Amino acid sequence: MTNVYTLLKITDKLTLQFGSDPTGRFFLCLVTIMWILVGIYAQKYKEHQKHNARFFTFYILTWVMLASLTMAANYLTMYLCFEFMTLLSMPLVLHNGTPESIAAAKKYLFYSIFGATLGLMGMFFVNTYGTTLAFTAGGVLDPAKIAGHETLILWVAFLSIAGFGAKAGLFPLHAWLPTAHPVAPAPASAVLSGCITKAGVLCIIRLVYQIYGVQLLRGTWVQMALIILALITVFMGSMMAFGEDLMKKRFAFSTVSQVSYVLLGVFTMNETALLGALLHAAYHSIIKDGLFLCAGTIIFWTHKEHVSEMKGLGRKMPVTFGSLAIFSLGLVGIPPFAGFLSKWYLASGSLSEGLPVLSWLAPAILLLSALLTAGYLFPICIHGFFPAEGEPEAEGKEGSALMLVPILILAAATVLIGIFASPLKDALQAAAATMF
Amino acid sequence: MNGIAILIVIMLPILGGALLPLLDFDARKARMYYVMAIVLATSVLCLSLISGSEGTQFVLYHLTSTIDIAFRIDRFGSVFALLVSVLWPLSTLYAFEYMSHSHKRNRFFGFFTMSFGITLGVAFSGNLITMYLFYELLTLSTLPLITHDGSREAKVAGVKYLVYSIAGATAAFIGMIAVLTRGGSLEFNVIGLGSAVTEANRNFLDAAFLFMFFGFGVKAALFPLHGWLPTAGVAPTPVTALLHAVAVVKSGVFAIGRVVYYTYDAGYLAGSIVQKVALWFAAFTIVYGTVMAWKELHFKKRLAYSTVSNLSYILFAFLLATPQGLTAGLLHMIFHGLMKIALFFVAGAVMHQSGKTYVTELGGFAKAMPISFGVFTIASVALIGVPPLCGFLSKYAIAVAAVDEGSVSGYLGIAALLISAVFTSMYLLTIVVKAYFPGEGFDPASLKDVKEANWYMTLPLIALAVLMIVLGCLPGGLTQFIAGTLADAFPGL
Repeated sequence: MTNVYTLLKITDKLTLQFGSDPTGRFFLCLVTIMWILVGIYAQKYKEHQKHNARFFTFYILTWVMLASLTMAANYLTMYLCFEFMTLLSMPLVLHNGTPESIAAAKKYLFYSIFGATLGLMGMFFVNTYGTTLAFTAGGVLDPAKIAGHETLILWVAFLSIAGFGAKAGLFPLHAWLPTAHPVAPAPASAVLSGCITKAGVLCIIRLVYQIYGVQLLRGTWVQMALIILALITVFMGSMMAFGEDLMKKRFAFSTVSQVSYVLLGVFTMNETALLGALLHAAYHSIIKDGLFLCAGTIIFWTHKEHVSEMKGLGRKMPVTFGSLAIFSLGLVGIPPFAGFLSKWYLASGSLSEGLPVLSWLAPAILLLSALLTAGYLFPICIHGFFPAEGEPEAEGKEGSALMLVPILILAAATVLIGIFASPLKDALQAAAATMF
Repeated sequence: MNGIAILIVIMLPILGGALLPLLDFDARKARMYYVMAIVLATSVLCLSLISGSEGTQFVLYHLTSTIDIAFRIDRFGSVFALLVSVLWPLSTLYAFEYMSHSHKRNRFFGFFTMSFGITLGVAFSGNLITMYLFYELLTLSTLPLITHDGSREAKVAGVKYLVYSIAGATAAFIGMIAVLTRGGSLEFNVIGLGSAVTEANRNFLDAAFLFMFFGFGVKAALFPLHGWLPTAGVAPTPVTALLHAVAVVKSGVFAIGRVVYYTYDAGYLAGSIVQKVALWFAAFTIVYGTVMAWKELHFKKRLAYSTVSNLSYILFAFLLATPQGLTAGLLHMIFHGLMKIALFFVAGAVMHQSGKTYVTELGGFAKAMPISFGVFTIASVALIGVPPLCGFLSKYAIAVAAVDEGSVSGYLGIAALLISAVFTSMYLLTIVVKAYFPGEGFDPASLKDVKEANWYMTLPLIALAVLMIVLGCLPGGLTQFIAGTLADAFPGL
């Protein structure tokens, strides 16, 4: 961490500190760009909803907390930002005010707080067994102090990492995500799925690489267990998305699956895999925000929410469905679209790590999940553009520039970042290197 | 001289309160000025005593050669005295408005003021016997406050309170006598049991400890002795807030702290089986209280169960029998006082302004009572333990103390704390969500008669919110003050 700024010294050990490092800066740029694009989109979408002042207040406050989270320089600050981000994003989920959305918001809230509480438990132990709470490459635990307490520390590491995994939709704390993301207004769903899940990822990166340290975790049952959880999530999320007809819910299940690709890379604990994870975090943010904005546009103009209702709609909304096609190709990982490269690094990172069974099982599951991804995304576009014979003419029209421009920018990014991959890749490679 | 000052600070509110029915004020204002003057004078005097006269000891008279009525100002008692002398004036102000339509206000404020002096008596007692005396008096002086509205329900609650409290105090008394018979000292200036601890006495002293632990545990609402507390919620809100979240219940906690660190000592308890048993009960109560609070829909009862849970946080910390445990427990004693009294004040304000008593009826209230629910939100988030609000610090301190202590019972307690944090968010934030986001189908016209309470009620709320934030961010002075107890309780440190 450089440029560390101490905001408040609560006690000698507990301080609110912010600083910047390449990984934090990457996440900061990513979420800020997404927030702006989705914010522009929301200027049109807001005609669809009430209480806009409230919506945008919490929209901005959530960004403030998320941005602070990316710059948090120690465990306490990160925990604080994490909790407040949960509290301030909750009103976005219940914005529609329906009983389902309020129930979903509570589910989101309590899952997140449960996860954060497990995360907090880690801090109790790091306080005693570590030298500092500040993020330090290689970890902060004091080998002299943990000698004889390895079992305890590993359990603590496992539980606290899995706890922050709640935000990233890691099995078994994923259940809130498919409930909460679809009921929120489309702009909120987009940033929830695309960005806020990444806050969970960032917290986990901090814990694995800068608190517990790769040295401690590599090769232990904790690493195995976390990889297994991530693989279960990848597969399960894809399967669930495949069987889901409600479009936003399908995308939410897809998020469950895709964010665990990122986590898989984080848990593999080598530079290649971490590079893949960071790349995938960027790609998934861009693509998933795009997908949710497309879904929002369709709902905005046609009120159609189910995939099965969209037959022939592509002919009325060619730009939206065209973008949807690009996002689908990207998420499946077909070169040269964004989404290919990250999976490549994830798979090769996993293979080079040499963990028994998991090293080759992980790429196999990634491949299988990619097939499922194709299975749940392609039919939307295919039926959209090529309805079966005899289908009645679909109703629908293409939207305003405010909605289309952000979608087109995201679609262009999906193509361009895929083709001209090196600048981002080089930057993230440097960021990943600082973690070791 | 300072010995007399202790007597004055204790007797001023007791006599002042006792005289109130005789003075029989008709005018509301006159009574208000009189009560406020006494309470403020006591608080100021008490704070100056705490800051200037530490170490003062004073024996009023000797009952026998081993039993005397004695007073002492030490840091442990000062922390408790500090808490009550800050909160009493705030609660009194709140009570003026809350009780403005009640009957028999002279009686109410009389006992309310007397309880202040008696609580200070608990804080400044110099030995267990003196403390026991004030402890019993506190039961008696608060009884008429519980039964104040005269309903059948209130009388039943009063009897229940009386039976529980007296039974508990009796058990504790047996424990005290047992310690005396084996040659232990009940004076607080003597740390530990000294030569009374022998191999032969050990089991006997263990039993005596459990008698005192469970005896005082009644007021500390330890499971399964907590039953009186939720029932006592029928009392007027200033009573539930101040006495059943701070003064009375914390007297129980405070007494157990005295027993653990002063009558016995950390060395005696650390690692013993009685410590384990006590820790398990505390850990279980933490979880039990929090789950019951979550299931409860009556607003004040929900908060009462939350108190049950939080009191055991403090007990748990004390029972760790380590320096960190002692300071963490005291920190939570202060912070829980601030947070819980604020929550109760909001519940009371809602009742006072709208008559609503169930959490399910609070849809949209935040718009009608913005200050109250703003403070409620802050207090809720603080109680869940989100930094930089005060509740985080004390929970953190307790958990770290348990990690440092390093026993299985300690880890069990950490688990209980974490479970409780999640449930706390569930039973408090559902209220917040309901009040701020009633959802579609909510009719704003249904609340058009509900208004924010006047400044008598909102000023204490705002003051509490400020304290929660400021002490959460800058706890340095307070933690240093609390750390002063260590010199006493851990002389070897």
